[in-house]
Amino acid sequence: MKRREFLGHAGAFGTMGLAGGLSVPALLSGAGRAYAAGDDIPVGLLFSLTGAVAVVEHTLHDAALMAIDEINAAGGVHGKQLRAIIEDPASDPATYSDRARRLMIRDKCVSVFGSYTSASRQAVLPVTEQRENLYWYPTLYEGRECSRNVMYGGAVPNQQQDILLPWLVENFGKRIYMIGNNYVYPKEENNYCRILLNELGGEVLHEEYVPLGHSDFSSVINRIRAQEPDVIFSTLVGDSDVAFARQYRAAELDPEKMPVCSLTRSEVEVKAIGGDAAAGHFSSAPYFMSNDTPENQRFVENYKSRYGADSVTHFVSEAAYFQIYQFKAALEKLDPANLSPTAIRDAAVGMSMMAPQGEILIDPNLHTHLWPKVGQWQSDGQAKVILQSEGRITPKPYAAYPGQDCTGDGLVKS
Amino acid sequence: MDVVFNQAFAGLSIASILLIIALGLAIIYGTMGVINLAHGEFVMLGAYATWALQTYAGLGVVTALPLVFVAVAAVGWIIEKVIVQRLYTRPLDTILATWGIGIILQQAVRLGVGADSRFVSGPHWLSGNIEIGALVMSNYRLFVIAFSIMVLGATWLLMTRTEFGMKLRAVIQNRGISECYGIEAKNVYSVTFAYGAGLAGIAGALITPLFSTIPTMGTGLVVDAFLVVIVGGLGSLMGTAAAALLIGEVTALFSIVINDTLGRIAVLAGIILLIRFRPRGLFPSDIRH
Amino acid sequence: MNTKLSYDIIGLTLFAGVILFGVPALFSYDGFELNTFSRYLSLAIVSMALALSWGTTGLLNLGQAATFGMGSYAMAMHLKLKASGDGLPDFMGWNNVETLPLIWGPFQSLTFTLLAGLLIPAAVGGLIAIFMFRARIAGVFVAIITLAFLVAFQLLVIEQQGLTGGQNGLTGLAQLVLFGWKIDIYSVSFYYMVGGCLMAALIFGLYLTHSKFGLVLRAIREDAERTRYFGYNVANYQTVIFCISAGLAGWAGMLYALVLEFASPTYMSVSFSLAIVIWCAVGGRESVLAAAVGAILVNLAEGRLSDVFVEGWHMILGVMFLVVVMFMPRGIYGLLVDAGRALRRKPASTKEALPFDTPLNPKQES
Repeated sequence: MKRREFLGHAGAFGTMGLAGGLSVPALLSGAGRAYAAGDDIPVGLLFSLTGAVAVVEHTLHDAALMAIDEINAAGGVHGKQLRAIIEDPASDPATYSDRARRLMIRDKCVSVFGSYTSASRQAVLPVTEQRENLYWYPTLYEGRECSRNVMYGGAVPNQQQDILLPWLVENFGKRIYMIGNNYVYPKEENNYCRILLNELGGEVLHEEYVPLGHSDFSSVINRIRAQEPDVIFSTLVGDSDVAFARQYRAAELDPEKMPVCSLTRSEVEVKAIGGDAAAGHFSSAPYFMSNDTPENQRFVENYKSRYGADSVTHFVSEAAYFQIYQFKAALEKLDPANLSPTAIRDAAVGMSMMAPQGEILIDPNLHTHLWPKVGQWQSDGQAKVILQSEGRITPKPYAAYPGQDCTGDGLVKS
Repeated sequence: MDVVFNQAFAGLSIASILLIIALGLAIIYGTMGVINLAHGEFVMLGAYATWALQTYAGLGVVTALPLVFVAVAAVGWIIEKVIVQRLYTRPLDTILATWGIGIILQQAVRLGVGADSRFVSGPHWLSGNIEIGALVMSNYRLFVIAFSIMVLGATWLLMTRTEFGMKLRAVIQNRGISECYGIEAKNVYSVTFAYGAGLAGIAGALITPLFSTIPTMGTGLVVDAFLVVIVGGLGSLMGTAAAALLIGEVTALFSIVINDTLGRIAVLAGIILLIRFRPRGLFPSDIRH
Repeated sequence: MNTKLSYDIIGLTLFAGVILFGVPALFSYDGFELNTFSRYLSLAIVSMALALSWGTTGLLNLGQAATFGMGSYAMAMHLKLKASGDGLPDFMGWNNVETLPLIWGPFQSLTFTLLAGLLIPAAVGGLIAIFMFRARIAGVFVAIITLAFLVAFQLLVIEQQGLTGGQNGLTGLAQLVLFGWKIDIYSVSFYYMVGGCLMAALIFGLYLTHSKFGLVLRAIREDAERTRYFGYNVANYQTVIFCISAGLAGWAGMLYALVLEFASPTYMSVSFSLAIVIWCAVGGRESVLAAAVGAILVNLAEGRLSDVFVEGWHMILGVMFLVVVMFMPRGIYGLLVDAGRALRRKPASTKEALPFDTPLNPKQES
C-alpha cells in the first residue's frame, strides 16, 4: 500500500541506513506552501488500521475511502481529484497526535477525517486548533465540546436519548441498570440519562463501570440477576460489548423481560455477537443498515460490492461516509484557488444534504442535525426500526449543563 | 446469600479460563525458564483456528478442539525450533523475542483475516443453565470448568506417568546429566513448548463463544496468566491450579464488594506482596534450577 | 579506564554534534520535523534511564513507563491549571469535583512542578526498590513485580477520573512559560531545550557509569552475591540506581507531555513499557549513550516505515526486534564493539568484553 512514489525512496533509505531518510523530508516540507496548490486536493485519513480500536475504525476508514473514490470517479471537485493520504495511528493517542501533525503540517491537508474514541480526538485537538485546520469526527460522543476546528458528524447525548428514554420508561419500566466502560463517554451519557430519568420519575438501580477491554461479565450478570432491573442501559464499547452480549445470552437472561438498550451497539458489534444473542435487544442510533431510503440502498450496495457481501455498514461508518460528501459540497462552494480549512468550515455551516439516514444539516455549532431512531435487533443481524423521531433533532452538546451553550461563536456561558 | 454462591461460581469460571491459559505458560516457564509473552497470541490463534474450522468446515467448538490443539501446537513447535531454541542461554531476552513474535503473529492474523471481530457460535447442546435454588450455572461455563480440570489431569498424567514426562522432569532437574543419559533435551524442549502452545490454543477455542475474537485479544490475557504462574510457584502444576482458583475467586469477590477495576488493582497488589514475601510462589516444587 | 572514558567522551561529542547541529541543519530548521525529533529525544532520555538500571545493574524494570507517566502528569497538571485560570480544570466539573483536590494545589507553582516531576517518580522508584531489594528479589521477579505495579498503577490512574482525567488523560493544556519565555513546541529553541536535557542526562549517566559507583553496579549485575561478600550493601546500590533511573524517566515524561501537549494513561501501558525495553536493547543496554541512540533509531524507523507501509509497518518492526534480539544480543553497541575490536586486529579473546573497553561510536548518521 504505497502512498507516494517519492516517499517510497525515503522509506528505502530509512530502512537501510536511516541516514538517507533524514534529508528527504526536509525537501518535502516546503515551508509556507499554500493549501491544495497542486493539481489535487490532499485529504488526511486518520483511522486506526491496527490495534484494539481497528475493529471499528477500519470500517470508518473503508467508508471514507469509498466516498473519496466515488467522488474522484465522478470527476473530483473543480476538476481536481481528492488525494487521500492514509495514516495508521495504531489505536494509540500519542501516535494520533504525531500522525495528525504530519497530515496537517507536513502534508498540508485541507481537512483530516478520523477517530473513533474521545481520547484520540482530544489528542488531535491541540495541533488542529493551533494550525487552524479542520478535523472531521464521525463518531457519536459525549458532547460538552465546542471546538471551532472540529466537524462533529455523530450524535451527542440529547440526540440519542431524548426520544429513547420516555419510550423505554413507558414500555419497560422505570428501574434502570447502567453498565458502561470506564471513561468519559459512558459517564456523560449516564449523567444525561439521570437528568431525563428525574423528569420521568425513573430510578437508577445501579451504575457500574468496567475497564475498557474488560471481558468477563459474570459478576455483572449476577448482579443484574439479583436486582432484576426493567432495562439495562448499556454504554459498553467494542469487545466489552461483544463479550457482555454473548455472556448475557449464555446466562439465558430474557430480552423480553430485561432488554439491553445500547447507545453504542451497531451492526459491527452485532455481527461479532451473533444474531441469535443480539436478537430482541435495542440500540438507539441515527442510522441502521436496514434503513429504507434510495441513498442508503446505494451506499449499502456500493459498500458490499467493494468490501464483500458479508460486510456491514453502521451509524458511525455512515457518518464517515457522508462527512466526505459534506466536505465535497463545501469545497464546491469555494474558489479552488483559495482553499483553506476555515473557509471550508464556514462554507459547510448551514448546508443540508441527503445522507443515507435522511436529510441532515450542519449546525452553526459544527455539530450535525440527525434523525434519531430506536431499532430492535433481529436474528439476521439487522435492526428493525420501531421508533423514529418525528423530525430532525438539533444537537445540544451542553444539554446536561444549564447556562452553557455551544454556538457559532464557540462556547457561551450565561 | 444467593449472590455469594453465584459469585463463587463466577470465580470458579474465571479461574477455569485462567487455569487453562496459565497451564501452558506454566509448563513452558517451569521447564525451560522461558517467559513466553507470545502466549496470548497462541490463545488468539486458537480462537481464530476455531473460527476458521467453524466457518469453512462447519465444525462445532468442541469437535474442533483436537484440531485446534494440533494446529497451534504445530505453530508453537516451529517457533521453538526456529527462534526460542537459540535463546535458552538468555532467559531475559526471551521476554523481548516472544514479545516480537507476538507482534508478528498479531499482525499476520490482521493482514490475513482482517481487523474486525469474528463470530464463533457456541455449542447448542451446551446452551442453557442448571439452576439449584438461587444458584444459576451456565452449562457452557460448567463445561469449561470440567474441561480445564480434565486438561489439568491429563497434563499431570503426562508429566508423571509417561516416559516423556520422566524425561521432561529429568531435564528440568539437571539438563546436563540428563543428556549424559541419552535424553535429547532439545527435543524435550520442543515438544514441551508445542504442548504449551497447544493448550493455549484450546483455551482460545474455549473462550470464543464467550468473548470477542479479535487480533489483539491475547495481549491482555498474558499478563494475568503469567501472574497466576508466578503465584503458583515455579514448575508446580497443582500450584498453578490453586493460584488460578485463588485469583479467580478473589477477583469475583472484590468485583462484587467494590468494583471490577478496584478489584483488579487489589488483586495485583496482593500478588506483588505475595511475590515479595514468597518469591517461590505458594506451592514451590522441590525442583532446583 | 582512561581510554574507555575517552572513547565515551568522543562518542558523546559526536552524538551531541549530530543532535545539536546535524539534525537541525538536515531538516533546514523546519518546525514540524524538529518537533517530531524532539519527541524522539525525550524518549531517548527514558531509554537511557532504563540502561542504568537494566544494562548496568541487571535489574529489568518493566515498570519504567509508570514513572515516565508520573512525570508527564506532573507537567500536564501544571499546564492544565494554567489553562483553567482561576477556575477548576474542566474535567473535574464534569466528574462532580467541587473544589481543587489537595494534591493539585501545589502544581500551580512551576518550581514545585519541575521538582515534583523529578522527585516523585524517584521517590516511588525508591520505595519499590526498597520493597524488593531488601528481600533480595532478583532476576525475573523484578520484572514481574514492576510489571504488576505498572498495570495496577495505570488502572488506578484511569479509575480516578476526577483526579486524573481518566482514559482521556489531561488535555487542553496551556503553553509552558519558563522564565518569561513562552515555549512554542515547533520552535528551534524548544528543540535545543529538549536536546540540552538529553545531553545533560547523558553526561550524568556517563559520569555515573564511569565512577566507582558504576563499577559496583556492574559488579552487582555480574554477581550480586559476590559483591555482597565484598562488603557492599547491594540493596542500597540497587535502590539508588532505581531512584535515579525513575527520576530521569519522570524528567523525560515531563518533556514528552510538553511535546505532545497532553498526558495520557497510555504512556503507562504495558506495551509502551516494553517498547522502552526494546529501544534500549536495540541500541545496546550496556551503554547509556547506545540506549539513547537506540530509542532515536527505532522511533525514526517507525516514523519512516509507517510513512511507506501504512498497513504493514507493525509487522516489519516486529521482525526487526526479533532479528536484533536473536542475532545482536548486545544491540548496535555490541556490533560496534566487535567491529572496533576487529579493526584493531586483536585476536578474538575468549574473555567476555567489559562494557567500556572498546570504542563507542554512535555513527547512526554516517
